[in-house]
Amino acid sequence: MNFDDAALARLMALAQAGDARAYAVLLEQCRRWLARFFRNRIPPGKIDDLVQDVLASLHAKRASFDPARPFLPWLAAIARYRWVDQLRRDYRGAEVELGADQAVDSDEEVITARLSLATLMGQLKPAQREAIALVKIEGLSIAEAAASTGQSEALVKVNIHRGLKRLAAAVESD
Amino acid sequence: MSVERTIEALVADLAPVTPLRPRRGLALTLAAAVLACSAVIVVFGLRDDVRALAPEPVVIIRCLLLAVLGCASSHAATQAARPMVGRANNGWAWALAAALTVPAAALLLFMRLMWSGAAAGPGDFDFSLTPWCFGISTSAALLIGGALVLWLRGGAPTNLARAGWLVGLASGAFGTLAYSLHCPSNSIYYVGLVYSATVALCAVLGRLVVPRLIRW
Repeated sequence: MNFDDAALARLMALAQAGDARAYAVLLEQCRRWLARFFRNRIPPGKIDDLVQDVLASLHAKRASFDPARPFLPWLAAIARYRWVDQLRRDYRGAEVELGADQAVDSDEEVITARLSLATLMGQLKPAQREAIALVKIEGLSIAEAAASTGQSEALVKVNIHRGLKRLAAAVESD
Repeated sequence: MSVERTIEALVADLAPVTPLRPRRGLALTLAAAVLACSAVIVVFGLRDDVRALAPEPVVIIRCLLLAVLGCASSHAATQAARPMVGRANNGWAWALAAALTVPAAALLLFMRLMWSGAAAGPGDFDFSLTPWCFGISTSAALLIGGALVLWLRGGAPTNLARAGWLVGLASGAFGTLAYSLHCPSNSIYYVGLVYSATVALCAVLGRLVVPRLIRW
């Protein structure tokens, strides 16, 4: 059974008052909604982790919901915030983890990740896109990327920094 | 841990909460602004014309513009504590545009002065008070911004950069307002240049520092 926004807002208001049964129903509904929300945005293998992250944030910040306002825009804002956070962590992790011994779990995961990335990367300037693709996705060092693109090492770093900021902004304003 | 186990754990941990009220955040910010103004008055004293309840027009204008800018940006900052997609709160931008009329007027007057070759009035270009303006305004802004940040940490701001700008703008406007009650200058050039630079400095500091303090 799917609940409409008004019903979810009522459940959340009850949860704020301490009603555990309403909260359990609400979290289950949120879980389904979040799984759909993230389906085309992140690799399938990471959806559960991110859904749990968002549910934990929802729990920690449940006082910030205004019962007089719609519920789903509130949930979507938290989901988007956590998604950007995940994106940043992934990029930081990729800097450390990407290397010769990089393991790939499934083709589908890689394709989905690349599809969602491709949409976002399309919003970057060509030099930023190239620098991020080479260093953060292909795993080249800054020096190798500089040699490959003809940009100076400093410029590669600047393009990566500005590109990541633009990516985060693109996700936030989605 | 599976999602089901996470949900069970969260339900088990549920306790009643009081919904966040942005009006309380706004009230706290205004209280901090009043405290900052009082501190400036006690430590440095009021302008003579303000004490006599007959302030110069330029003092009335600058105080009102700074107060409106501070209120509008504080309101937007406290609203930012509640996550919401697709809801703009841009009143602060209009208040900022109104406040920018002062430096714009100063620039136009300066150009007219240059064009006509007339002599400037006494004290028109006296910027010797600038270090005091920066020092007192930013100290007051620190108090006001600190209160706002403390309150925001209890919320869930999702656009940290925007929240940082707004906190800086609000605290800078109120901090400069506190200083303006003491500031002896009546020069439109001084207000247009030094006050604007002080508010801008606070906004930039807010953008740089606040996101790290309110990240969740």
